[in-house]
Amino acid sequence: MLRRFAISGVMLLAALAAGARTRPHYGGTLRVEISGDPWQVPDGLARRLVLDTLTTISDTGSAQPALAARWESQDAAHRWEFALRPGVHFHDGTALTAEIVAASLQQTCSAPANVPCPWSTVHAVGSSVIFTAESPLPDLPELLAQTEFAISRQDATGALDGTGPFRVSGFANGALTLTADDDCWQGRPFLDEIQIFPHRSARDQALDLSVGRADVIEVPPELVLQAEQQHLAVLVSRPVDLLALSIAPNGPLANLQTRQSIALAVDRSALFNVIFQKQGEVTASLLPASLSGYNFLFPPDRELDRARTLRGPAPSGPLSLGVIDPTPTLQLAAERLALNLREDGFNVQMAAPHTAAALILRRVHLEATAPRAALDEMCALFGQNGKVTGTDPVALWQSEQAVLANGTIVPLVWLPRAWAVGDRVRDLRLSPDGLPLVADASLEGQQ
Amino acid sequence: MTLRQKLLLMFSLTVVGVVAAVAWTVSVRVRGVFENINQEQTTALVNQFQRAFDGRAAETAATVEHVAESDQLHRTSLEIGSGRDASQYLTIAGTLAQDFHLDYLELVGHDGSIISSAQWPARFGYMERDISAAGKPAFLNDENLPDGTSQVGLFAARVVPGSSPPLYVVGGRQLNADFIRDFPQTPNTRAYLYRNLGTDFDPVNFAGALQNETAPYKALVNQALSSAHNATGVVYITPRREDSVDATAIPLKGSDGAVLAVLVVANSRRGMVEVQRHIRDIAFGVAGIGILFAIAASLWIAARVSKPIEQLARAASQVAAGDWNARVDIRARDEIGVLAKSFNNMTHELTEQRDRLVQSERVAAWRELARRLAHELKNPLFPLQITVENLVRAHRLPRVQFDEVFLEGTGTLQAEINNLRAIVSRFSDFSKMPEPQLEKMDLREAVQRVIALHAPALEQKHISIGTSISPEPLRILGDPELLHRALSNLVLNAMDAMPEGGTLTISASRSADFARVAVADSGPGLSDEECSRLFTPYFTTRQHGTGLGLAIVQSVVSDHRGSITVERPEEGGARFVITLPMVNYLLPEHVTA
Repeated sequence: MLRRFAISGVMLLAALAAGARTRPHYGGTLRVEISGDPWQVPDGLARRLVLDTLTTISDTGSAQPALAARWESQDAAHRWEFALRPGVHFHDGTALTAEIVAASLQQTCSAPANVPCPWSTVHAVGSSVIFTAESPLPDLPELLAQTEFAISRQDATGALDGTGPFRVSGFANGALTLTADDDCWQGRPFLDEIQIFPHRSARDQALDLSVGRADVIEVPPELVLQAEQQHLAVLVSRPVDLLALSIAPNGPLANLQTRQSIALAVDRSALFNVIFQKQGEVTASLLPASLSGYNFLFPPDRELDRARTLRGPAPSGPLSLGVIDPTPTLQLAAERLALNLREDGFNVQMAAPHTAAALILRRVHLEATAPRAALDEMCALFGQNGKVTGTDPVALWQSEQAVLANGTIVPLVWLPRAWAVGDRVRDLRLSPDGLPLVADASLEGQQ
Repeated sequence: MTLRQKLLLMFSLTVVGVVAAVAWTVSVRVRGVFENINQEQTTALVNQFQRAFDGRAAETAATVEHVAESDQLHRTSLEIGSGRDASQYLTIAGTLAQDFHLDYLELVGHDGSIISSAQWPARFGYMERDISAAGKPAFLNDENLPDGTSQVGLFAARVVPGSSPPLYVVGGRQLNADFIRDFPQTPNTRAYLYRNLGTDFDPVNFAGALQNETAPYKALVNQALSSAHNATGVVYITPRREDSVDATAIPLKGSDGAVLAVLVVANSRRGMVEVQRHIRDIAFGVAGIGILFAIAASLWIAARVSKPIEQLARAASQVAAGDWNARVDIRARDEIGVLAKSFNNMTHELTEQRDRLVQSERVAAWRELARRLAHELKNPLFPLQITVENLVRAHRLPRVQFDEVFLEGTGTLQAEINNLRAIVSRFSDFSKMPEPQLEKMDLREAVQRVIALHAPALEQKHISIGTSISPEPLRILGDPELLHRALSNLVLNAMDAMPEGGTLTISASRSADFARVAVADSGPGLSDEECSRLFTPYFTTRQHGTGLGLAIVQSVVSDHRGSITVERPEEGGARFVITLPMVNYLLPEHVTA
């Protein structure tokens, strides 16, 4: 009997200890280092933490309520009404109203740097926001989950304010400090503060993580394998970034066959296997295999002989190849592409930064998680007019084939996002588009 | 140019020529010596560069060897040998190149494919042929770069020791301006590296050098490129000599023998040129002083040589001017002294001869005068004697007859006395020739006045007049009355020469700066003796002439600085020609006079 009690007691203590280890603790400051800008669209980490969207995307890819409690479509998806969640306030105490939401969305749509919004008008009616469009918008709830359409306003000081779980509390010593909003409509996050150190090189981030100066760092795809070999805890997302070559359909590359020759001359496997160290997937499709399921229909293999046949006489002058937002790895990938194309007979020269180029290597981030929305997003990002109709894979494939048929986009590699996490971070997950859900994380040993 | 000037010029030219020849010889010799010294310096410098280059090549090979022997590559070779994916070593070459200070480094697999490249990371997977040089000395190679350009580098290839399969390392250093800058150089030396891009010479292909500094090396570089051997020469950076260099172009060949670059070593000639210039300046200075001294000596020598000759020339001029008393005071014992003595003897002899001639002429003149006087006086004396004798004989006659004879005799006496008085008066007039009153006048007027005066008499004697008067004025300085008198005498003489009539021709013309008046008759003419003595006073060809007419004419013409001559035309007769200087020919003092 005594033995039975003793065993039960030990098991109870063990269960209590296990429970204590798994239960998140409140408090603490999480230090995150990133290579980019925390406010950039669409993958700015601070933007995700400070601002909210009307909807969010669930793990299954469907829209779920956020600032909008419910919505309904009318007139065959030509009109949408989103009812706002009551009781939501901005960090300065201002109540979220439909007028503020409509004004925020209108400002987003009118920003010259942004992609034009798909709707025609947006206005407030009571506590609801009404969208109207000339063409049906069946995926508007999923579209509004994109960070681009996060709701914001300027407070009395002119600073950006939102309804997210954290509010901006300062910027000092190279770190943007976000403080937990106790009155957040989603509930108070576990962390008290998050310090975001922007524009840090991968080398510095790794060093800071190794010496305990950072808790979460961004790991470029090409260093994921190395980080894993160093036994770091690495969170790797599904492929969310597409590396693609944009070809100007004019000037020396006005000929479709010349552009097709370029698409056949690029060596994707070298990019995937060597430069990006087998992270992500080789692709000739605008959608990752996990979303479309048909990307085998777009063969990514290099066919140099066919490329030379299609090329015809090479352009007399040199072709310039530029890189948007160049990093050393992207620059290396561009130089490799230049080598590939020189083998095809093109005289490709690397363009100076910020100069126009006939060939542009770019890396775009895919936020959508639904196939049709994802294809819409990619078309918008590459400036294509193709509008996806239908939801079945065949319709999607046909739409994508139509987009790629003009040879102005050469998808190369789908890349994941990866983050290395320090020992004291708990419960950190990645969003469907590869960003850390810092608001859900907590720190070990905090009370 | 005087004799003294000629002597001075001759002496000066001789001395200048000699000094210049000496200076030129010294300058050429000095230049040759310095050229040789400078060339030797350049050769030593080129050898020094060559040794430095070889040393750099050995150093590069050693560095690549150290890379191959590094722990990191040893570990890498083991991991790859054990089957690890080589793609994981994409960046290792960059790291090693940075650690070992190499500009180029590639890690190459056993199949020759690049695993990692420091200079062109994107070239992974491509073939690298230079692994065939593994274990050999360093070599030159043209390395292609991502930007489409290429660079010449000094490379070496090595195998990572113990690697199986073999892992190769190909590394090197860039041959650029920094590479050259590290070479041992003096302030007077310059080294340039020219990249051979297979195109025409272009100064921009010189690494890290100014175009205007390297453009003059075109010929030398082209020579080295075409011959693939060292080319040496003098290169002028600017047209100035001090900006020239002794340059040697050394072709740098790759492993295949092609000239990939040219190393130009230039040794400034400024120091040599400045020394040469200094020596030349000294030579010129000495030459200048020598020339000045030579000119001074020439002056002295010329004066010493030419002074007696000048004295002789002056004395000769005095003699020519009529001063026969001119003497030279030269006491030299040389040829000049003999010449001076002879000159003095000559003038002495001439003076004595002149005196004797004057004396004899004076006696002859007196004789002529006595003869003329006797002749002139004898003619009236005979009637006087007859008349007086008649008066003496008539004294015995009756009074009436005596009175008649007396009256007739006294009349004759009176006439002959008057005749004697006229003779005496003419002689008196000749002795009292007035001084000419010179004034500007037109000689044509004097000629026309004489023609007008004597025209009636000429017509009466059946003498026709032919005139030829210049249409332009014949302006002279003359005394109109005296000239009128002289011309009248000539006309009267011509009338006397043509008692049976004839033709008198008078012409007035201009000949250069002289006015010429000719009076010609068609009379019997003159003999040679008459021509020679015609202007001698008291000489006449006429029975009752005084012989003073032409003497007066000559005196008047001489007073006008003119001359008179007599000619014997072929058609007969005699022609007297008076030549008088015109106004513009006369000296200013005569004009004012």
